[in-house]
Amino acid sequence: MSASEAAAKIRVAIDSLKTSGVRERPLVEVLDLSHQMADAMKTFFGSLDRSIIGEFRYIADFIQKARDEISGLQANDIKETRIPGASMELDAVVRDTERATETIMSEAETLMNAEPTDLALYKAEVGAAMLRIFEACSFQDLTGQRVNKVIATLRHIEERVGQFAGALGVTDTAVPVSAADQRAKDLLLNGPAINGPATTQDDIDAMFA
Amino acid sequence: MAVDLSMPVLVVDDYQTMIRIIRNLLNQLGFRNVEEAKDGRQALEKMQASKYGLVISDWNMEPMTGFELLQQVRASETLKATPFIMITAESKTENVIAAKKAGVNNYIVKPFNAETLKGKIKAVLGDF
Repeated sequence: MSASEAAAKIRVAIDSLKTSGVRERPLVEVLDLSHQMADAMKTFFGSLDRSIIGEFRYIADFIQKARDEISGLQANDIKETRIPGASMELDAVVRDTERATETIMSEAETLMNAEPTDLALYKAEVGAAMLRIFEACSFQDLTGQRVNKVIATLRHIEERVGQFAGALGVTDTAVPVSAADQRAKDLLLNGPAINGPATTQDDIDAMFA
Repeated sequence: MAVDLSMPVLVVDDYQTMIRIIRNLLNQLGFRNVEEAKDGRQALEKMQASKYGLVISDWNMEPMTGFELLQQVRASETLKATPFIMITAESKTENVIAAKKAGVNNYIVKPFNAETLKGKIKAVLGDF
């Protein structure tokens, strides 16, 4: 039953009471007052209904928009394909780098221990080792391509999440600091700086002079 | 007094390649007795079991960092005199200041070269 229907029913009930022979003055006044109230309530509930419907429409539109945005976020694609793919690429980068480093280190150690007693043999040994080092350095081309793939994935996620947050008007709220983050902060685990050391070796030397 | 090149040197790093690089550099400098530990905790255990003439440690390791190792070493009556050099990618001034305050003898920022390592060891131990 709508508010206007309820008010109409109340009014009918009051009219019925009025016409049923009630003659005592206070009761008539109460009935008049009730009549006025019913009219007022009809107007009030009528406007309330319209504003509530408007609110519900707004909420429904917002939910639909959120559903569209979540769908556009392609969370399943990110979780099931893109992040595992990027993770595999990074694993491969680590593996290729380790393999190349191992080769280069081994060749360098071999050369350091080589005895130059037979010059021709020594020269051949150095030449062969150098070739193997050059070959090992080719890992950089592959790792560069792998890292580019990871960067593309990160950019994709950044774009989607940014679009999602913007469309829904999401603002950042404070989150509790994790134990790992707190430990890193306490123990000054900042990691390597971008574009070289934050403090140069010369500046550090000056601090120890 | 000349540095005893046969003294045990402990290299602490969780990255095996870096240990290998430092070991080779130390061997080139003449140090013959180079041992290794993969983190601060293992290094502390080794130091409690044997005496080392020099510790060269990375900062960022788990479960015990090089900074925590330094603090533990300096807090120990038996270990506190051990020369300690930090070799790390942690290059913020706050890191250097914290390490200095905790009693590190010298600080090398990665990437580094053989000359830098040699110079710092000389600054800490004397000529060799």
